[in-house]
Amino acid sequence: MPDCDSMRENMPLLLTESLDPARRELTHQHIETCPMCVAEWSAYKETWSILDTLPELDVPARVKQRFLAEVSPAVTPNVVPFRRRSAPRWLAQAAAAVIIAGGAFYGGHRMTPRVELTPTPATLVNVQPAPFYSIAESRVLPAASISPQIEGRPDIQNVQFTDASPSNDQIGVSFDITSHVTVTGRPTDKSMVRLLRYVLENEDKQSPSRSRAIDWVRSTYAHVGNPDPEITEALANVLRNDDNQGVRIKAADTLRSLQSTMTDGTRDALVEALKNDPNPAVRLKAVEALAKLARSGGNMDPDMVDTLRKKASQGDENVYVRVKAAEALSSIQPK
Amino acid sequence: MRVTVRRTVQTFIAVATVLSATQLFGASFATSSRVTREFQIDPAGSVWIDNPFGSIDVVGGEGNVVTVTAERTLTAPDQMSLKDASDNVALSFEGDTKVRLIRTLLPPMRNARWTVMVNYVIHVPRGVNVKIGGSKSAEHIRVANVNGSVTINGFSGVVMMEGVVGASVVNMVNGRIIYDYTQKPVARAQVQAVNADIDMWFPANSNFEWVANTINGDMLSTFNVKAGRFNGSVFHGIVGSGGTTINTESMMGHVAVLMKGSNIADAQSIRMNEPGHQAAPNDVLRQPAKKIQMPFVNGDFVFAASVADVVVGEVRGNARVETGAGEVELGAVFGQCNVTSLGGPLNLGDIMGSLFAHTGAGDIIVRASRMGGQVTTDGGLVRVIYAGGPMTLRSGGGDIIVRQFSAFMDAETASGDVTLTGDPAQKSIKVTARTLQGNIVLNVSPRFAADIDATILTSDPEVNEMHLDFNGITIRREQVGNKTRIRATGKINGGGERVELYAEEGDIYISAQTLTPIRLANPK
Repeated sequence: MPDCDSMRENMPLLLTESLDPARRELTHQHIETCPMCVAEWSAYKETWSILDTLPELDVPARVKQRFLAEVSPAVTPNVVPFRRRSAPRWLAQAAAAVIIAGGAFYGGHRMTPRVELTPTPATLVNVQPAPFYSIAESRVLPAASISPQIEGRPDIQNVQFTDASPSNDQIGVSFDITSHVTVTGRPTDKSMVRLLRYVLENEDKQSPSRSRAIDWVRSTYAHVGNPDPEITEALANVLRNDDNQGVRIKAADTLRSLQSTMTDGTRDALVEALKNDPNPAVRLKAVEALAKLARSGGNMDPDMVDTLRKKASQGDENVYVRVKAAEALSSIQPK
Repeated sequence: MRVTVRRTVQTFIAVATVLSATQLFGASFATSSRVTREFQIDPAGSVWIDNPFGSIDVVGGEGNVVTVTAERTLTAPDQMSLKDASDNVALSFEGDTKVRLIRTLLPPMRNARWTVMVNYVIHVPRGVNVKIGGSKSAEHIRVANVNGSVTINGFSGVVMMEGVVGASVVNMVNGRIIYDYTQKPVARAQVQAVNADIDMWFPANSNFEWVANTINGDMLSTFNVKAGRFNGSVFHGIVGSGGTTINTESMMGHVAVLMKGSNIADAQSIRMNEPGHQAAPNDVLRQPAKKIQMPFVNGDFVFAASVADVVVGEVRGNARVETGAGEVELGAVFGQCNVTSLGGPLNLGDIMGSLFAHTGAGDIIVRASRMGGQVTTDGGLVRVIYAGGPMTLRSGGGDIIVRQFSAFMDAETASGDVTLTGDPAQKSIKVTARTLQGNIVLNVSPRFAADIDATILTSDPEVNEMHLDFNGITIRREQVGNKTRIRATGKINGGGERVELYAEEGDIYISAQTLTPIRLANPK
């Protein structure tokens, strides 16, 4: 099927999150409706995760020396010559496809007897630790901390030149830069959690769908044994503050599926939503989450019990919300 | 031989160790103490009892003295916790001859390792008013032979009211409530519960007005209830010649008014529709609650219930489902499908006839609506995988997502994103999409032809934008009050059906993509 072929070509880029939003959505839609591509996509993801678990090996010193000897005479240009943007992008895509295809081959044949490699401790010799990459609104960097290599053709605008102190030879160049960053890591990595929290709470300027971030968080963290409480707190803030009712519905629904890390703050956000949210679906999701919390013997507080009681008896409340509130109350064992 | 003996000894020691350890760790320490107090009280005074854990018996009698007997039982896994419990649980007797306040005092943040239960037996003059509050868990709360007013507010337990003459208010969450009137009711009773059954026995010659309300339970009576009428789920009826009001309301349990000497098994349900009843909104709440799960129905499926969870794999005819609350799941419907719920999610599979689905709150998911129809929710997500005929989709707040539509699509949400994907086999389809807060994404094939009229009304034009994959569209901006209107009009691919999109505080995307059509399997 020609469509399947093109979609499969997209899969490596989907894995590395290099697809533009429209193609990403299209590819996801296709995968969901095509059983063959579902299998292919599962294999890709499995392979990707296997690659992540492979041990990292030291390069033998002899090889390293030879390599450095080969490359050191070459003068590294500090500016990449102009070329059309599509070419390196195409090359990168092709390289990614080759890597993934190789990985897929490995994954597909992993049932054959496997050569066990003994992991050896990594050693760093005369290497300065890489500074943390900071995602910041603005920052000042010494030139020494920047690689002389400018990769690709980043969009640099609003350039300003400064020479703040004539007494020394320091100059400054400030600019706005738009770059595309892909951060990889485990869902439980603190940096990843913080990044997702920021995205959830500040996604106003993102598109095409703000609720997509919540969908992604739910699908990712539902499988994580013990998701970081910061994620649920971010969702609680979305539930409290977002104007978009569709987003609030999803936030409440996602909190229900991430019960294991529910804090008092997230529980209070659900109680608040049940009390005051004008959208019955938000109240419905909130009461379902609280009912689940009650069934699991979670942390109850008098305000929650009182709210459930009022909701169960509130004649003008939606009947389903009332029924779910009553169900939640029936699970509560006073302590 | 020595080996065998040694092994036997080792086994014995191990068993003994395990047994002693089990006994040691499984043991709990308990202590009981009894307190008796007597207080003077006015004949029409009040007795207030506040006891979070434990039973309460209040018995009316003669005289002007309140006699309180409290039995306090503390349980803890070790002596230290037991001492902590003993230090922190106090019985308090306060007040004067007008109001006597009897309380069990617990610390606000108590150690979860120990438990306390205080059972009270309180004898009071018959004419006093009784108020019982703060009860979280009680085996029972019993008030007998009291002529004054009685108020009970608790969480769980059995409430028994025997020979209570004065006005009474009972409010419980879980448990059961039983009234036994020894004489005709002369004062108002307001009995409310969430999950409790309410059973009230009256003398046969009683006269009262009965107001009953339940969502999940039934309304039962062995009296001849006259002039009955429903207002939503609330029933009003008259027993005998009428009189004082007995108000019984339980969300999930049954409510019953019974003639003394009769049995609840003989009681008649008054929830069923009487002949000649004119249909009214919320009538479905009069139907009994049901749960139904069937693999298929060979013919039409007609179902109505106040609270219902409905799961039917296949309906080989028309389906008509009406619920007050609950989850409805229909796998496939060969004919027309009409599902109405006052609240709860609807999950509908392959609907071959026309579709009408509405819920008061909750998500609606439709796998395939081959002939189209109308899907509405007062709040929740609407998701349609395949729309073969013209469809109208509405949400009071929530996203609307259509994975493929082949005919006229009209989608509107009060707040949420609208994502519509057109059938790539159709060259032009009429579309109307509207959100008062959110984005609209329209995915169509590159050869899709239409007359586009897309409008964004935004207070932040730097953030909200048009994203169009087609040429030939003119975009204009104008200030409307403190907002900016961004309007895109024009013909794409030579023009065709009208595509009208309107988004407030959001983006509009018209995206040209090579789409894969959804294929539906034919029914067997």
